[in-house]
Amino acid sequence: MAVDANGRGAGDVDDGLRRDLAEAKAQLAATSEVLTALGRSASDLDAVLGTVVGWAQRLCRADVAQIHLVEGEVLTLARSTGLSDEGVAYMALHPVGRDRTSLIGRVGLYAQPQQITDVLTDTDYGRLDFQRLAGLRTVLGVPMVLDGDMVGVLLVWRTEVDPFGDRETEVLTTFAAQATIAIRQVALLQTLEARQQELAQKIHQLEALGEVGQAVSSSLDLDEVLTTIVTHAVQLSGTDGGSILEFDEPVEEFRVRTAYGTSDELLERLQTTRIGRDATLVGRAATEGRPLQVPDLRDVPLDPHLQCLFEAGWQSLVAVPMLREGRIVGALVVRRRKPGGFSEETCDLLETFASQSSLAILNARLFGELERKSAELEIASRHKSEFLASMSHELRTPLNAVIGFSEVLLERMFGDLNERQDEYVRDIWSSGKHLLELLNDILDLSKVEAGRMDLEWSTFSVREALENGLALMRERAARKSISLILEVAPEIGLFHADELRFRQVVLNLLSNAVKFTPEAGEVVVRATSDGPEVLVTVTDTGIGVAPADQARIFESFQQGGRGAQQHEGTGLGLTLCRRIVGLLGGRMWLESEVGRGSTFGFAIPLGALESAQAPRSDESPPHGGPLVVIIEDDRRSLDLLRLYLEGAGVEVVGVRDGATGLEVVRQRRPSAVVLDIRLPGMDGWDVLATLKADPATAPIPVVVVSMVDERGRGFALGAAEYLVKPVSRDDVLSALTRVTVLPDSNRTLLAIDDDPLVIELVKAVLEPEGWQVLGAADGETGVALARSRQPAVVLLDLLLPGMDGFEIAAALHDDSTTQQIPIIVLTSMTMTRADKERLQGRISYVAQKGNFDPALLVALVHRTTEAPAASAQEG
Amino acid sequence: MTDYRILVVEDNERNLKLVRDVLQFAGYDVVEARSGEQGVALAKECFPDLVLMDIQLPHMDGAEALRRLRDSPETRTVPIVALTAFAMREDREQALRAGFDGYLEKPISVRDLPEQVRHFLSGKEPRR
Repeated sequence: MAVDANGRGAGDVDDGLRRDLAEAKAQLAATSEVLTALGRSASDLDAVLGTVVGWAQRLCRADVAQIHLVEGEVLTLARSTGLSDEGVAYMALHPVGRDRTSLIGRVGLYAQPQQITDVLTDTDYGRLDFQRLAGLRTVLGVPMVLDGDMVGVLLVWRTEVDPFGDRETEVLTTFAAQATIAIRQVALLQTLEARQQELAQKIHQLEALGEVGQAVSSSLDLDEVLTTIVTHAVQLSGTDGGSILEFDEPVEEFRVRTAYGTSDELLERLQTTRIGRDATLVGRAATEGRPLQVPDLRDVPLDPHLQCLFEAGWQSLVAVPMLREGRIVGALVVRRRKPGGFSEETCDLLETFASQSSLAILNARLFGELERKSAELEIASRHKSEFLASMSHELRTPLNAVIGFSEVLLERMFGDLNERQDEYVRDIWSSGKHLLELLNDILDLSKVEAGRMDLEWSTFSVREALENGLALMRERAARKSISLILEVAPEIGLFHADELRFRQVVLNLLSNAVKFTPEAGEVVVRATSDGPEVLVTVTDTGIGVAPADQARIFESFQQGGRGAQQHEGTGLGLTLCRRIVGLLGGRMWLESEVGRGSTFGFAIPLGALESAQAPRSDESPPHGGPLVVIIEDDRRSLDLLRLYLEGAGVEVVGVRDGATGLEVVRQRRPSAVVLDIRLPGMDGWDVLATLKADPATAPIPVVVVSMVDERGRGFALGAAEYLVKPVSRDDVLSALTRVTVLPDSNRTLLAIDDDPLVIELVKAVLEPEGWQVLGAADGETGVALARSRQPAVVLLDLLLPGMDGFEIAAALHDDSTTQQIPIIVLTSMTMTRADKERLQGRISYVAQKGNFDPALLVALVHRTTEAPAASAQEG
Repeated sequence: MTDYRILVVEDNERNLKLVRDVLQFAGYDVVEARSGEQGVALAKECFPDLVLMDIQLPHMDGAEALRRLRDSPETRTVPIVALTAFAMREDREQALRAGFDGYLEKPISVRDLPEQVRHFLSGKEPRR
């Protein structure tokens, strides 16, 4: 039957139409099936191509349908239907070129549909191997074109000579286009997936590198860092294990530092294997400065390192050198249990890890060195401090003798001296003093430099401190007829700093000023305030300091052009002064003109207690304890009193003169004042009278502590307590207790027992607990002591010669002054009911002597005194 | 002449001699000890009214000697005064914290020493 180009039968239009309709339906079904296949498994190219060839074969009424895809220069069979397995296998193994010898080649060549009516009669046809195998005769092929490029050929053949018509060509072309879409889609998807994978890989790598970078920069534990690195390197490179080797430069050997995915035995073996620089894979990689890989360890000669790995079942590896500034730091090795190469990307990645590793190793080395150095420095500095401390002790001891014995002679203790002898002994004395001063300056300076100069902050009067300095210099100034002038601005009052150090600085400047000022000159000390600072200047009419020397005059052993030979000094004074002022938070300077004089000045910020103009009466004690102001000029006594009071939880402000004391009391409103009578300037009597005359300060109890015993006068002026020096800790604390600054803390206990051993025992147990134990061997003494000393508790033995325990308890109970004192009966006798009744209401506790337990006694005494009047019995 | 006996504990021979001579000159009865151990032993035997003790002694230091004297009934109440170096603030601090009744700074003032000692003795009767 002849068929026209439209597939319509010429003879029977109806038939033709019917057939057309059927074919169109079939084609529609085919197309929709292909599309469904495409939609169902867009990524499964094989399934789509299978559907295409199936329908092509059927709709073209062909024996075989195939798709060949372009692979480089050739076309390879991708999918086939209707051909035997052998045929498919043969054709798949024999791709065809783009030439006229085959139909596939011709479609590839012309990119147009081609038909060979009979391959056996076609003169150009050359693939008789195919013809013999598959028996093809008439062949039709159409190109599959994607974006102008041919990607394949869809062809059908018949094993009889029966040419395909236009309709078949059209059907085939449609299918080719659909197959092409599928290919394009799959290609796109694959690209997308590859990109995605690449991206994920990159992210993964970046994350790993970030983690490694963080480990390198944040951890100084080298092994931890290297373990992190090797772990990530192995995981990211998709290998099974790895290790990091560190290069030991002096011996030119690599040592395995850490490993991942490696058994303990292998690691141990690796660590004991000598991996030299020559004739090893890692050595060669390091020398050549590039990664070297072994895809199969069976194929290469094995160095000791590779031998170990091979024996442990590893088959392939890559060694990446770790280099820094041309020096070998180590190597990173990753390995697989199977043979195989390592891609360039993997090697690139590993090089990044290697670089991080070398950085980590170098960091760790630098840090180790730094640590060693600073440890050495610390030891050196400690040695220096120890040396200075011991040297200063060793030097000071003989100096003390030199100075002391000179003084003995100067005091004429053992006979008179003639004028010359007196002069020489004075020289010995002053040289000794000078040496000691130098020694003290050196010691102070070394303490400042070592950061060990501790400051003792206190509140003091600036004026007093300056007057004190002037007083010490007065004699020397008078010898040169130098006038000493003090000018203190009215706003300058109290100051919070280290008073001793402040005076040390002032004295040093004053002493320099007097030293460098010629006869009949003038030295003026000024104190002013400038905003938040107190400024002190010492101005002389001396020789001055040349501008060139001004900068270095604060350095050690520089006396400027002022003549070191002529003027005796330590050369450390100004250095020390500046350091001390610095410690006090201030600064120091010099203004000078040669021949006219110098002004040395320093400024220190105002401390917690500012000027007298800014009283802070509402300030509460920082540590919560009561505040006591001690007014005492003798530093030793002040230190001692301060210690006693601070020990009892009292906050102490110490002042050294009456006027300052009054000021501080007015500002701080302490709970009590401890007052010395013999004070410079305004004496204790004046202070006491002034405090009592002022309604604001009158209620503050004053405890007088004085060498002079004038109790009558003290009490008449309003003192609450009067103690005569020397005073003990107990004296002071009980006086403060009586004026209710401190809570009642009567810690006196009276033990009445005829056995001195028992009293000793009680003392031994209770004295470490802070108790004062009074002992009485008999009842009469006991009762008298209880009356006079008012103990907090009485410890009583019942069996006593003479007045017995029962009588004593009764006596204490009957006397109103001792009635309240709790009694603990300590007895070895067994108490009868009658005994207990006799004591009823008079004793607090009964303790058995036989099984005496120190802890029980302590607990009993504390309980009795803390909760008095409770009547109970204990066995 | 006073009736007070002062025990001086000082390891440096010359400084010991200096303190001894100055105190003897002022009329005190002086007993010498050259170590903490000797000081503790002598204090129990000779009933001093005051102990002057160098704080920096080899072996048993001043603070330890002080503790032993305070632990012993015979010497518990004797005032014990530390001899400290003027330059060493920390010595002073240490002395007071250890429980000394006070301190005197070295170099001692030959002129003032008798008066300073009197200060620590004032109000007390000689023990013998």
